[in-house]
Amino acid sequence: MSGIDLELGAGELVAVVGPNGSGKTTLLRMLATVDAAAGGTARWFGSSDRRSPRVRRRIGTVLDGTPHFEEMTGYQNVWFFARRFGLSETEARTRLNVLLSWADLGAAVHRRVREYSLGMRQRLALVEALAHAPGLLVLDEPTLGLDWTGSLGLVETIERQRKAGAAVVVATNDVHLAERLGGRILFLDGGRRVGEGTVSELLSGLGQSQRVELTFRSPVSLEHLIALPGVCGGESSPLSVRLLVDPGVDPARLLGELDGAHRLLTGLEIHRPDLGDAFLQITGRPIEAVR
Amino acid sequence: MRPLALPAGLWQRELSEFLHRPRSLAIKMLFPLAVAVPLLHSSAPAFYAALALTMVLATMAPLGAGAVLARERTSGLLVRYRLLPCRPLLVGMERLLASAGIDLIQVTPVLILLMLDHAGTEAWWPALWLGAAATLLVGNVLGALASTLSRSPGEVMLFVLLPTLPALYLAGIFTPFQDPVHLVIERLLPFSYLHAAILGSLAAPSQMTTSTAALSALGYLAAAVVMSLLVGGRLIEADA
Repeated sequence: MSGIDLELGAGELVAVVGPNGSGKTTLLRMLATVDAAAGGTARWFGSSDRRSPRVRRRIGTVLDGTPHFEEMTGYQNVWFFARRFGLSETEARTRLNVLLSWADLGAAVHRRVREYSLGMRQRLALVEALAHAPGLLVLDEPTLGLDWTGSLGLVETIERQRKAGAAVVVATNDVHLAERLGGRILFLDGGRRVGEGTVSELLSGLGQSQRVELTFRSPVSLEHLIALPGVCGGESSPLSVRLLVDPGVDPARLLGELDGAHRLLTGLEIHRPDLGDAFLQITGRPIEAVR
Repeated sequence: MRPLALPAGLWQRELSEFLHRPRSLAIKMLFPLAVAVPLLHSSAPAFYAALALTMVLATMAPLGAGAVLARERTSGLLVRYRLLPCRPLLVGMERLLASAGIDLIQVTPVLILLMLDHAGTEAWWPALWLGAAATLLVGNVLGALASTLSRSPGEVMLFVLLPTLPALYLAGIFTPFQDPVHLVIERLLPFSYLHAAILGSLAAPSQMTTSTAALSALGYLAAAVVMSLLVGGRLIEADA
């Protein structure tokens, strides 16, 4: 990792966005105190001792594929972590009732975790991370396995945590989640910071551009479209072309450039640009995102 | 049973899992008995019975702990332990003590059989229990160390057996040593005290006195607790 300079105050949120292998998980593991910062410094709540129990007691973490005690029930799992993070029995019971109600695990909370689906495991991990009301919440791909209602619930929960004063770091390649969360966006690529700002600041760099997506029923090679005048960026895959075009460009003109491929065209969509387009404009590379 | 129903400590979690998996529990409890019962109820010479039982205790702990900890490392569970608000070496020690405690429960029926096997061997009982506890804890420490060097439970077996088998030989459990150099080496290894205590419990002659065996085993147990602290930190902090 290099060029990362990040400071979070109470109630602030940073969404770390980048393609797979960009360094998001490495950065989050360091922020969560799992790994030492290589060649740099990190401080949590004024302390640079990542092993300090005082520091770790104030951090809630969900890492990619957080494991659980498979032979124990969901409730036993959350109880174990709540108690280990210093909650009294009464506090744990009260807090877990609220969080488990949000997590909507129902009666499944008394079943063994080995019977859980991916989404249920993820919700359980979120309850474990939130139980001790952490001052810093570190979430790596928190919507993994969640359906859209679960994702919406997660956004609301994160918002509540922020209002309660928690700083939040979320790593995702889901640009829509990053936009919904608000806060600052940190673009990572190849372990380097390539952009930073609020959603509106990053999108303002795109001006009034629009995104045109063409999809085809069989593979086509249309990379020449990206070089057309008025096209300020784009990506091409065998079955689709995604172009970032200036506002004055008529999409019908693009159709005229398809040569014989127009017979294979199955769809044309025009979108307002999103953070994925901002990333594409900055790096020339797409985020393999859930769009 | 409430602490086991809602575990808050690693020992409670380990014990809860141990007790709530009936098939696994039966296998774990029956394995040492399957070795001990035929030995103790046959005409096998005491020396061979002591040899076999010492080997069982000396190998089951590192192999079991090493394989389980290697799996916990691969699954990411040890990273979760790392993030608990407690110094990693204390978490690691807690994990190893819990594991050794469960191993001790597992061999308790065998130790009781040994105690009941011969009347008039009560003087060896403290050495028997302390020697077993020290051997099991040292075994867990060795298993934990092996798990940090291995990428799979299979590799753990190799890293565990490589030092354990020569150590068993040097502890004099296969061939009693007479020369002073070998005797010194023998006394430096924890298995020798367990072996002597098992021999004593079987009313067979031993090269040690009961007090030497008991006090030395106690010393080894204390040393093993310190070792579990040192290795525990490495266990929790090492990455897969």
